[in-house]
Amino acid sequence: MATRGRSVVLGEFAGPSPLLDAVRALRQEGFTGLDTHSPFPLHGAEEALGLRPSLVPWMAFAAGLTGAALGYFMQWGFNASLYPLNVGNRLAHSPPANIPITFETTILFTALSLFFGLVLGFFRLPRPHHPVFEVEAFRSATTHGYWVSVELPREDAPAVRRARALLEGLGGSNVSVVEEGP
Amino acid sequence: MAESTLIPVRYPAEVLAQLEGRPLLEGAHTDATLTDRLLAFNQAPAPRGWLALLLFAASGAGLLLLCILYTLDVGIGAWGNNTTVGWAFDIINFVWWIGIGHAGTLISAILLLFQQQWRTSINRAAEAMTLFAVLCAGLYPALHTGRPWFLYWFFPYPTTLEVWPQFKSPLMWDVFAISTYGLTSLLFWYLGLIPDLGALRDASKSKVARVLYGIFSFGWRGSGRHWQHWKVGYLILAGISTPLVLSVHTIVSFDFAVSVLPGWHTTIFPPYFVAGAVFSGFAMVITLMVPVRRFLGLQDVITVRHLENMNKVILVTGLIVTYGYVMEHFVAWYSGSEAEWFVFYNRRAGPYAPLFWLMVFCNCVVPNIYWWRRARTSLAVMWVASLLINVGMWCERFVIIVTSLHRDFLPSSWAQYSPTWVDWGLYLGTMGLFGTLFLLFIKYLPAVAVAEVKELNHELGQAGNRGAAEVR
Repeated sequence: MATRGRSVVLGEFAGPSPLLDAVRALRQEGFTGLDTHSPFPLHGAEEALGLRPSLVPWMAFAAGLTGAALGYFMQWGFNASLYPLNVGNRLAHSPPANIPITFETTILFTALSLFFGLVLGFFRLPRPHHPVFEVEAFRSATTHGYWVSVELPREDAPAVRRARALLEGLGGSNVSVVEEGP
Repeated sequence: MAESTLIPVRYPAEVLAQLEGRPLLEGAHTDATLTDRLLAFNQAPAPRGWLALLLFAASGAGLLLLCILYTLDVGIGAWGNNTTVGWAFDIINFVWWIGIGHAGTLISAILLLFQQQWRTSINRAAEAMTLFAVLCAGLYPALHTGRPWFLYWFFPYPTTLEVWPQFKSPLMWDVFAISTYGLTSLLFWYLGLIPDLGALRDASKSKVARVLYGIFSFGWRGSGRHWQHWKVGYLILAGISTPLVLSVHTIVSFDFAVSVLPGWHTTIFPPYFVAGAVFSGFAMVITLMVPVRRFLGLQDVITVRHLENMNKVILVTGLIVTYGYVMEHFVAWYSGSEAEWFVFYNRRAGPYAPLFWLMVFCNCVVPNIYWWRRARTSLAVMWVASLLINVGMWCERFVIIVTSLHRDFLPSSWAQYSPTWVDWGLYLGTMGLFGTLFLLFIKYLPAVAVAEVKELNHELGQAGNRGAAEVR
């Protein structure tokens, strides 16, 4: 039985365009577990990595609708249905008076879903122990370095060697392999 | 969504050079020098000047604590409010602080949507200013309830009393607006901060700093897959913050406009409050940024062009506020309502007239100096003007709140208002709290959005196919 775990091959490039060129070359060679690491979002990284459009807008939209519905029905329920409140003999259920709070709960739910959805769901963070952090030089990825990482199954030694050679051939520096798993 | 949504339209360098007199980023910087420059103040040991300022601000925060404890002990009778003027310093300062906060959201959200590149250098500090201002603002209504430990009664929670909040009251709208605003601003700020906390973690030398920034950056690794979602999420947050910031001061103005009191019951309040908020908020950004850019050595990133642009916004919103004052007086006269007209006569010529005329001077006269480029670009002039504008906006809230209340329909209940030492202590105290938080922020967090400035630097470099410094 094959051992579980993965190898991550890392290489640093001189700038955004050499990095994206390297990613495109790796994809042409058939590598799939690719990622870029850069201090700021790179223009064209989605296309180079072959990413599908983000689903974040749909999540935010769903959360916004939920917030609007909850906000409105909360007011209707508490002031018109469960505990009807007579204020100056005005209607217990008066839609215009419910607009401000409905609007605020819409925004609130959207914002909460964006932050927590992104961090916990889309980024799968907090995770301070990712294998890429094993390489000391990888520190530069958040400040001034442009890195590419290739994730491969650990037992696939030929692929790891091939990725390594390819990164070196493409002009990558600090090329290194990190192994994770038992 | 495949094409990045954050990329502004790129113009050729020659076109930019004609349109814009000053560069957005000065000096030829690389990613590494930007990292060093922008995080230098975080890495260096605390300078004495900073410590002295912190001590000064923290003693203000101590005064705040003292005054809060005194208020809780004695009750709100410790304040100058009386049965005629039931709202005074508490609401004046609440509106003043909330208004100041609005510039932060305006800069970070609205200018992002309008693809204004000049927002990038100032948005982080302005957002922090928003957060701290909202925090200070929130204290006042909480204390004004007299029993802040029952504050949770504001929220709809299952209770055996079966008494729910009255959702038709603008004060309840305010609770939802302010809490949503505070929380959304915090999340927006923090989402932008995560990549920079990662940078700070990796640039730090000390073990403690690495561990702490490591925890707060959640293990950010600059992944391209993360950046894709980050960009979309950040843009949507900007998109929802834009109507939010307009709604918040609109709802604050409803606290007044929905009542039937002369001087408050006007439809011009929402736009006029929002403009006033932006006006005072930008003034506060100038007040803070002029010393901070010098103190932190950020002149290359927060350039005179940023300051000049903010002064233009101040000029425009100042004119809107002036229009608001003129319209209020006109409509009071045109309405033919005796009570309404008297309130405005009383503002101009009554016992609080000096504050009214100070307001007119600070808010209607002072911003007009920005018609001149020399005034817009002079650090000394803009710093003094920004202080005067915030004095003026404070006077505006005093005039609106106290003069409307102290002489209304019934002359037998007319009264005068004067603040007590506790009122002043709370006001100065929130300034101390604000200063303390802001000083801690510039020391321990990146005061400039590092990742976004690097992105801008690359964009500008691309625009001219040369260094950023060439784009002039």
